[in-house]
Amino acid sequence: MFERLPVPAQFDRLIVAGGIVTGVILGPVFLVLLSLLLVGRISAPELVFWLGFTVIVIGALGTVLLQNIVHAAFALIAALIGVAAMYLLLASEFLALVQVLVYGGGVVLLIIFALMMTNAQDDPIVTDGSQKPFAFIVTLLFGAVLVAAAVNVQWGAESVSLITFRDFGTRLFHDFMVPVIIVGVLLDIALSGAIVNARPNIEEHSEETTQ
Amino acid sequence: MIPLENFLILSGFLFAVGLYGVLARRSAILILMSVELMLAGVAINFAAFAAYLDADGFSGMIFALFVITVAAAEVGLALGIVLRLFRERRTSYVDAANTLKW
Repeated sequence: MFERLPVPAQFDRLIVAGGIVTGVILGPVFLVLLSLLLVGRISAPELVFWLGFTVIVIGALGTVLLQNIVHAAFALIAALIGVAAMYLLLASEFLALVQVLVYGGGVVLLIIFALMMTNAQDDPIVTDGSQKPFAFIVTLLFGAVLVAAAVNVQWGAESVSLITFRDFGTRLFHDFMVPVIIVGVLLDIALSGAIVNARPNIEEHSEETTQ
Repeated sequence: MIPLENFLILSGFLFAVGLYGVLARRSAILILMSVELMLAGVAINFAAFAAYLDADGFSGMIFALFVITVAAAEVGLALGIVLRLFRERRTSYVDAANTLKW
């Protein structure tokens, strides 16, 4: 099926296996949520929320638990697409589109490129350090504090207001003009620094040899 | 109507999972991916508070947008550093970066 596509042989197995895993996990969840919706226990936004919640939880856990780095990168894509669904539920369509474009398109692509360029053959397979139990305990305590803090507080009146594209752009470049300029300068500096950092500089190496 | 607490719990979960990845992983690229998860959790928090508690509902969205922008810049710069580390030490594991100057 994938023989005509110009992808490496390992990739088609990855795609098929990933699709099967996604279907096996998400299919039952979707069916349960759909039956709940038909019975009337949950509303349609809640169905989308819990579906996105499942995708984010599985993607995030896959990102930090999978041993293969490429598999972890694909799990990261799933988690970030789920986050885009959350932005849609929060009535901010512009943020959802930016999330898909910047993360799903740019950031993960950069990460996979870096994986290709730093693929050392003699690296050990184990990608976790020996500090794993300690990290697990710290994370558990920290997450428990966050969740307890979120649940125990009485928040104010709830009101969701949709922000349209035109409104967003007008107010972004009118009220927040200075932060936009500062972020532009920051991006410029960061990308120049990345180029300077990743460039092979011959002078430095020749200096080192003469010392 | 989805309660605000659901979004807060989700963002707390994402932040905690990302923290676990940062603490437990050895590969610099995997640590970077976990940082992305933490930033996504923070951005969800901003957007949720803006949508639910702010009558205007705009400032939090702007902050989420800036978080995304700064995360993109950070990924570009960090991957440059990872490439440099790989060129010097032939590995991308943070254990290898154990000297300040070489």
